[in-house]
Amino acid sequence: MKKQQLTFQDMIFALQQYWAEQGCVIMQPLDLDVGAGTFHPASFLRAIGPEPWNAAYVQPCRRPTDGRYGDNPNRSQHFYQFQVILKPAPLEIQEVYLGSLKAIGVDPLTDDIRFVEDNWESPTLGAWGIGWEVWQNGMEISQFTYFQQVGGLECKPVTGELTYGLERLAMYIQEVDSMFDLVWTYGPKGAVTYGDIFHQNEVEMSTYNFEHAATKNLFEHFDYYEHECKNLLEVNLPLPAYEMVLKASHAFNLLDARNAISVTERQRYILRIRTLAKTVAESYYQMREQLGFPLLNN
Amino acid sequence: MTTNDFLFEIGTEELPPKSINKLAASLANSVEQSLTKNSLTFTELKTFATPRRLALLITDLANKQPDQKIERRGPSVAAAFDKDGNPTKATLGFAASCKTTADKLTTIKTDKGEWLTYTLKQTGKTAIQLLPEIISNAIKKLPLPKAMRWGNNDETFVRPVHWLVMLYGNKVIPYELFGIKADNKTHGHRFHHPEAITISEPKKYAEQLNKVGMVIADFDKRQKEIIKQIQKSTHRHPASHPCHPVLDTGSRSTRSVQSSKHTVDSAVKPQNDAAQELLNEVTNIVEWPVVLTGTFPESFLKLPPEVITSTLQKHQKCFTLYDDKGKLLPNFITVSNIKSKKPKQVVAGNERVINARLSDAEFFFNTDQKQPLAAHCEQLKHVVFQSKLGTIYDKTLRLEKLATYIANKINADKTLSRRAALLSKADLMTQMVGEFPELQGTIGFYYAKKDKEPLEVAKALQEQYLPRFAGDKLPTTLTGCALAIADKIDTIVGIFGINQIPTGEKDPYGLRRAALGILRIIIEKQLDLDLQDLITEAARNYTIKFSNNNLSSQAVEFILERLRAWYLEEGTSPQVFAAVLAKFPTRPLDFKQRIKAVNAFIKLPEAEALAAANKRVSNILRKANTDNLKHKISEKLLLEPAEQDLAKQLLQKAQKTEELYKEGKYTQTLQNLASLKKPIDNFFDNVMVNCEDEALRNNRLALLTKLRDIFILVADISLLQQ
Repeated sequence: MKKQQLTFQDMIFALQQYWAEQGCVIMQPLDLDVGAGTFHPASFLRAIGPEPWNAAYVQPCRRPTDGRYGDNPNRSQHFYQFQVILKPAPLEIQEVYLGSLKAIGVDPLTDDIRFVEDNWESPTLGAWGIGWEVWQNGMEISQFTYFQQVGGLECKPVTGELTYGLERLAMYIQEVDSMFDLVWTYGPKGAVTYGDIFHQNEVEMSTYNFEHAATKNLFEHFDYYEHECKNLLEVNLPLPAYEMVLKASHAFNLLDARNAISVTERQRYILRIRTLAKTVAESYYQMREQLGFPLLNN
Repeated sequence: MTTNDFLFEIGTEELPPKSINKLAASLANSVEQSLTKNSLTFTELKTFATPRRLALLITDLANKQPDQKIERRGPSVAAAFDKDGNPTKATLGFAASCKTTADKLTTIKTDKGEWLTYTLKQTGKTAIQLLPEIISNAIKKLPLPKAMRWGNNDETFVRPVHWLVMLYGNKVIPYELFGIKADNKTHGHRFHHPEAITISEPKKYAEQLNKVGMVIADFDKRQKEIIKQIQKSTHRHPASHPCHPVLDTGSRSTRSVQSSKHTVDSAVKPQNDAAQELLNEVTNIVEWPVVLTGTFPESFLKLPPEVITSTLQKHQKCFTLYDDKGKLLPNFITVSNIKSKKPKQVVAGNERVINARLSDAEFFFNTDQKQPLAAHCEQLKHVVFQSKLGTIYDKTLRLEKLATYIANKINADKTLSRRAALLSKADLMTQMVGEFPELQGTIGFYYAKKDKEPLEVAKALQEQYLPRFAGDKLPTTLTGCALAIADKIDTIVGIFGINQIPTGEKDPYGLRRAALGILRIIIEKQLDLDLQDLITEAARNYTIKFSNNNLSSQAVEFILERLRAWYLEEGTSPQVFAAVLAKFPTRPLDFKQRIKAVNAFIKLPEAEALAAANKRVSNILRKANTDNLKHKISEKLLLEPAEQDLAKQLLQKAQKTEELYKEGKYTQTLQNLASLKKPIDNFFDNVMVNCEDEALRNNRLALLTKLRDIFILVADISLLQQ
């Protein structure tokens, strides 16, 4: 990359700065294994109910099946998303989003920016939305979704969710062909790359995910988290219960990567997670209601 | 009458490209219908559609409806006045409802009596009064692909709405929709001219958007512009095929010409127009098209060409290019939405994405080939075909048997067919098909070839899914035919077996398309196969117990029913089709011969009378007591010369007719019967069938039964009567 281009961390700073200026709460990542920024309670749970909410955060994502042992320049089992949640989605949300691209040096009169139809559906979260992939010169750099339903509940008001694929965006900005060549920052000894930081992780985690993850224990974990989730809901603790949903979901993803779940069983497991997610969503809504939807008064 | 031009525009966020034209057409249709219904005249209605707007321009729209005279009728004169000549309550009520007084009412005389009437004059409403409702109704009727809510709105639409233009002449019509007030301001291109543009008059809409807004609002114009630019840029590409992009897109395998005009299955999109579809889609994702060309490393040309075209066309919405010999070139065309300050940067970006995608594909291609195709079969044990019908592996085992059975019938190689069936679904487990599901079969073909499987087997793997849509090509190999038929029959039988028969629009397993595919292969490849036998054989291969006891007859009927649209479109009349279908010929080739014979028969001068006579015969026989139909013709009981003559001629004809029929000479069979017209007519003119004497009557019924028996061999001639 050239010196004047944004480093990976500069890009994150720029996005955080921009969204902070738009009135977002800048949050930190969820400290649990998740497959997407949407799973963060700041997205999934905050989209439920009438309370307004604007937040932005980086979320490390783990998708065991996408592991390529660090051999593939575009795919990895661990990557970063930058997630923005605007509730209610303002009418000018597209313009605000485009403003964020300008903030990281993308000029829409130089680069061809498109909104390409891509509706979103998460069978495990009982959620769906309408939206687009945002393309920059043919590359998908963001997903843009108007949540219509979350945890089986209608979204009212509608939350707008913007998800940036940070590696892809940075590869574009830094003009490199492999995510591992991205410059994370310049240290005392020169460039520190994404590969310096994560390549070993990709190799080892891919090996673990595909070859060593103990399926028998994972199945047991899944059952345990499901059970625990139900127990916690019975004592009206939707937030801890939600963590159990996330843990069950990650156990499922690992089992999937190990090819331990047949197609028929797969549907059944997804349904089990969805059932939990829906129950948590309802419980969370009731809890907020009991608290008098505090954010309505801000 | 005064007229003015009218402009309506709804400005939205990016619409789903494949729905835009349907939405625009629906909007135009609804508005046109309402205008006609409301007697508002106009000269032309023009539609505009881009990713961010739908618009209508109506020229010379009348400024008001004509005044109307409506004659209303009240009580009868007899009931209108009391004995003193004063208006009754009914009369007063009627006058009040007409907003007038009783003395202004007139009378009218009809053949049913005299009535009070009143002619109301209804002043026509103005266009400005009517248009808001006309537009609202049209918006409500739009076929939204998936409706959404946004912000705090309760209303739903296809995408959030940002502006509205409602302009009649130079006047903004007061109107509000989705919380947006109509104005005379549109917006230009999202990036080139996001600011508002005041439309000076409706007619200037497209011009202002083009010159100021950098938006080509007219779909056709935008498409023409894209084609023009592609032609210009491909000329600059010395290696490329300098022709219309339509020739350069779409998977080439689907473009070969097969005689298949007659296959219309409404459930299937005409994908052989894939090229035009891509062009339409691309036209609807840009407002200001700028065509750019790029390249990718030649080394990727070692990948199956289908992988490259799928990546470029389906995933990246780019056009591919071919040399004069039809070989893929390492170039592509992309249509960008801006006049970029640095077009090279746009091209480089697209190249990087395509490069990355093709690298990925190459990685999968190489990984997959580390083991032979056959090794993937084992994994099929974990993939469900249908929850009640077992795994895909189970299906593979059934296909081995069924394909071998079919191969035997059509003189295909049994060993090769069996092998092809075994491998048929293995590619579903490869990473390549995981990434490019649309390439199932094709990937199997390449991998089988690499494994040195017999070429016939490899081709069959690719051909098993043919024909995929109306007008698609058919398998070229006999092994491919055997596998393609086996695969489809197995699915139809299984799904019918568990009673998931397609109804109305619902056909989740694509059984109609499968049935039509089976028929096309059998008929066009002239394969001597019997549907009944195929279904029995396929059902035998299932180890589960089916819940549907009528599976066999329902499945045959379902498949034969697909022939209706086929023959009707070919010009065969519904009567001819019904006449043949009545015989339920389960060999499609036999069905075809019968249709041909009956089509020849109806051209004979005797045909109409014979059809009528047969209709009469079948009516008489239907009404007769079945016990009375068990008799043989007794010569002694033939009293009238007309019946004696008919019996004689029938006897003469019968043997020959049956011979011809057995030899499959259907046309001659029917022609042979034409000369019976005279004796039959003569019989009905002179003989009374339902006479008093029971013995005579039964004998005559027996004669008619014989007549019907020889007429009904090829088709039910009685159904030919209009």
